[in-house]
Amino acid sequence: MGVYICTGCDIGESLDLEALSKVAASEYKVPVCKTHPFLCSAEGAGLIKQDIAGEGVNAIVIAACSPRVNTDVFDFPDVFVERVNLREQVVWCHPANDEDTQMLAEDSLRMGIVKAQQAELPVPFQAEDISKTILVVGGGLAGLTAAAETAKAGYRAVLVEKKETLGGWAAGLKNVVGLQPPYTELEDLNLADRVREVEENEKITVYKNAQIEKIAGAPGMFDVQIRQNDNLYSERVGAIVLAAGAVAYDATKLENLGFGKYTNVITGEQLEEMAGQGAIKRPSDGKPVESVAFILCAGSRDKEHLPYCSAICCTESLKQALYVKQQNPEASVYIFYKDMRATGNYEFLYQRVQKEGALFFRGDVLGVAEVADGQLVIAAEDVLVGEGIKTEPVDLVVLATGMVPVTAIGEKLVIKAEDDKGAQEEAPADEIIRSNILNLEYRQGPEVPPLKYGFADSHFICFPYETRRTGIYAAGSVRAPMDIPATIRDATGAALKAIQCVELTAAGSAVHPRVWDLSFPEFFMQRCTQCKRCTVECPFGAINEDEKFNPLPNPTRCRRCGTCMGSCPERIISFKNYSVPIIGSMLKAIEVPEEDEEKPRILVFACENDAYPALDMAGLNRLSISPWVRVIPVRCLGSMNLVWIADALSKGIDGILLLGCKHGDDYQCHFIKGSELANYRLSKISETLNRLALEADRVRMVQVSIMDYDKLPGIIEEFAGRLEEVGPNPYKGF
Amino acid sequence: MEAKELSMEMKEYIAAAGAETLDWCMQCGLCSALCPWRLVSGQISEAFSIRKMQRLGQLGLEGFDTEEVLFACTTCGMCQVNCPRQVKIIDNVRSMRSTTVEAGFVPTNLRSIVGSLHANGNPWSGAREDRLNWQKGLEVPLFTPETEYFLFVCCTSCYDPRSQKIARSIVEVLKKAGVSFGVIGAEESCCGETVRKIGDEELFKKLARGNIELFKSKGVRKIITTSPHCLYTFKNEYPELGGEFEVVHYTELLAGLLREGKFNLNGSLGKKVAYHDPCYLGRHNGIFDAPRTLLGALPEAEIIELSRSRERSLCCAGGGGRLWAEVPRGERFGELRVLDAEAKGADILATACPYCMIMLEADCLALDKQEKVKIMEISELLNACS
Repeated sequence: MGVYICTGCDIGESLDLEALSKVAASEYKVPVCKTHPFLCSAEGAGLIKQDIAGEGVNAIVIAACSPRVNTDVFDFPDVFVERVNLREQVVWCHPANDEDTQMLAEDSLRMGIVKAQQAELPVPFQAEDISKTILVVGGGLAGLTAAAETAKAGYRAVLVEKKETLGGWAAGLKNVVGLQPPYTELEDLNLADRVREVEENEKITVYKNAQIEKIAGAPGMFDVQIRQNDNLYSERVGAIVLAAGAVAYDATKLENLGFGKYTNVITGEQLEEMAGQGAIKRPSDGKPVESVAFILCAGSRDKEHLPYCSAICCTESLKQALYVKQQNPEASVYIFYKDMRATGNYEFLYQRVQKEGALFFRGDVLGVAEVADGQLVIAAEDVLVGEGIKTEPVDLVVLATGMVPVTAIGEKLVIKAEDDKGAQEEAPADEIIRSNILNLEYRQGPEVPPLKYGFADSHFICFPYETRRTGIYAAGSVRAPMDIPATIRDATGAALKAIQCVELTAAGSAVHPRVWDLSFPEFFMQRCTQCKRCTVECPFGAINEDEKFNPLPNPTRCRRCGTCMGSCPERIISFKNYSVPIIGSMLKAIEVPEEDEEKPRILVFACENDAYPALDMAGLNRLSISPWVRVIPVRCLGSMNLVWIADALSKGIDGILLLGCKHGDDYQCHFIKGSELANYRLSKISETLNRLALEADRVRMVQVSIMDYDKLPGIIEEFAGRLEEVGPNPYKGF
Repeated sequence: MEAKELSMEMKEYIAAAGAETLDWCMQCGLCSALCPWRLVSGQISEAFSIRKMQRLGQLGLEGFDTEEVLFACTTCGMCQVNCPRQVKIIDNVRSMRSTTVEAGFVPTNLRSIVGSLHANGNPWSGAREDRLNWQKGLEVPLFTPETEYFLFVCCTSCYDPRSQKIARSIVEVLKKAGVSFGVIGAEESCCGETVRKIGDEELFKKLARGNIELFKSKGVRKIITTSPHCLYTFKNEYPELGGEFEVVHYTELLAGLLREGKFNLNGSLGKKVAYHDPCYLGRHNGIFDAPRTLLGALPEAEIIELSRSRERSLCCAGGGGRLWAEVPRGERFGELRVLDAEAKGADILATACPYCMIMLEADCLALDKQEKVKIMEISELLNACS
């Protein structure tokens, strides 16, 4: 082992380096311990390389800057590198040449050395018989685009469409809104060209009139069974693009708007079909329409129906208003809306429709009533007049109904850890909707976990395509309501994510967001009690169950967050370089001063994704942080095992602060459930604390985002203040 | 909720009367926010929202036709030049007014001016033959085919005793500058600007056609106007009726001559002068610099910019027929204009429009500020210093 201490960037001037070196050389008997004034220079890195070659050093502790910087400089093949953050988190946020700062630096080095002693270099998982083919589920615009883009990138695609023809919802469109200036013209989507491009592409296999019977396996080695008519086909694929789309909301539920009650009330889809056939006529008598009312948000943004916005109905209705005006420029067009969501260049379309004389009404539609001759009168509240209004009788009412993702349709399932046994203590399991699309052979259920409204769950800010099943990327309106350009972009993005997935899987690496990570969890099965916590808590459904009811990890499904490690009561799940014992040893390496020294200790478990960089930013901004903290970065708070808390408290550490990402409906956790699970586990910590006769206040979890760096000193100070009130940990010195 | 019924017939009637951009309005409300009526309180301010008026027009809904709504707008153009949709709001206002005016419903205070325009060709109930009374004791050349400019004196300056002084000082200054100009006389009629804004399209056309015929018969090619309102109408509204003339406001002409050294100022003013941009000279005709050039050349005068100036000038409240409206004290935004000048320490509030002169002088008197701020027409200052 080698320890290298950089003395540049204020480190040398702020610390007693002799004493620091002694920690490595005397306390831990590290054979090679050197200081260098500029370790990230070619000379500095050269010094380390020399020792690797000459002294046979194969585990290195670099006590210098944050592990988030200079990663390329301190990257040595086949050598374990641990970084001790002396710069950002010690000398930049603590006073120079201060006893407490020195103690912090020494403890940080101790933790780094202990980790380097115990960790092993990860050996990448090599899957067998890897396929780099991409399965595209759904042959609508998103699916067609994903397949075509996959083929363009040089990969084979398999496209499965349940209908007899490709094109999906977009095939029913007469026109689309022009995407070039002046953005006001109606154009042909040229969908037939896109279909031909896919059907004639030799890199794409198309199964029409087909359904997925089942998908088993994991990224790089999914085995897909496709049923087409009465035949069953097998395909091995590496990753999947879920582009199954959405369907229109069921208008029969909108009787309040006259659908099903009056013949001349139709849906936007019906109008589109009529316009495509040549003429917009009144269903009641086939007369061409002279006046049309469009009701937008028909059953959308409505608690009784679809609570969300479907993104396209406003612009689709504007387009259809132009159909009416094209057919008869004198026709009256009324458009009732909640908010006109014609964003970006659609504004030009909106202006055109206004200028062509359509009347717009913002406010709630109060009712649709039939008057003589099948004509209808709409009563509404007009916010702009501030009063109720009634239209003149119109020939046709068109309801712009929203979209329902096909993943939302089906029976709801909850797969628990154990079949109803001991369920009361478990973290809540995910709900899966049996929508008969992917039919995954996963213990966690046959489809991808949905968001609140049935759209495929994904990290909505950072990683929109990643569903919660690794290797399955959602695109188009199955993921979120979106228009045609957005669908095309989305499908292209998802296809590229799928390609990244097969390539990274082949290299034994994790996919986003830990792309560099070659480690994967290993299970010490002899001690497994088959509790199944890991299978339920893994946010990505990576762990199946074998025929003997043991957990069966699928390393290529794993995102390497360590949530399984945190969930396991037997602590049998470990990564080569990240495990319950490694972190346990690190925290045990902290020197806890006696009570009369009045130097409390606060252990901070900081999520590597937001909290740890925020601590770095506090340092960069030279904010002052309490000297009592000792920071251990964790992959995700979901990997936090409660035993660490028990260990830290029994060692005399006064308090433990968990800094993780926001959880809840608008979560920011990079691993979706990790932060929430940590919070859940903490709710169960009181038992441990009671056993130790300690106050629950000693453990606190705070949600921080990377932008909260300026709040961190206050958060820590406040916690330190509370610990002072609680008093020192009575276990000190035991 | 009581529901009002839409009337496409009414909407189309309004649109056909000239409200071509009524449908462009997206009801953002910027117009209402910029409207000078928001700066004062009172009955009209409460009743009148230009945004809502547009909306009622769009839907052909009743409610815009009450007098304090329909005739409140001063056509200052503050909303129109800032409208993100380029809605021609003033065209919409006059079209909506025309729905009642053309049907014979003219508000009481405007009846006399409409009647006088029909009978005398001016809104001031003055006899046609008295049109030249302002010239008494002053030699004013008659327009002949050899004259370069026809000087069109606004009806207000022909009949209103205070305003007559403006006409006289303009004549004197033009003479000093050596401009070749002349007037036609009693056959001239009102340009028709205000009556068109009131909504009487028919009367406007009658007046305009009469003038065009007269001007052409006299061989007029270039016109100097004393009022920005006449300037606007001759420049922007006469061409479509066949009256193509080169039209300048006297301030433009004089500013040009000043720059060329053909017109000089001397003496000493020794005052602080603030300039009020008339809406029709500034926002409507884009003339901001000519009056400033002239004022800047006044000897020993300190020129002050008001806080609301140029494109953001505050209306005197006299446009769109409002010159003849009775508004209680404290509810007139012209008063704010006098206070603007006082706040900046101006001795003189100068302007270049007969309407602004009437409004601001009345407001100054109402505020009892006449000892502090003197309201003057630019030509009067020029005449005093030349």
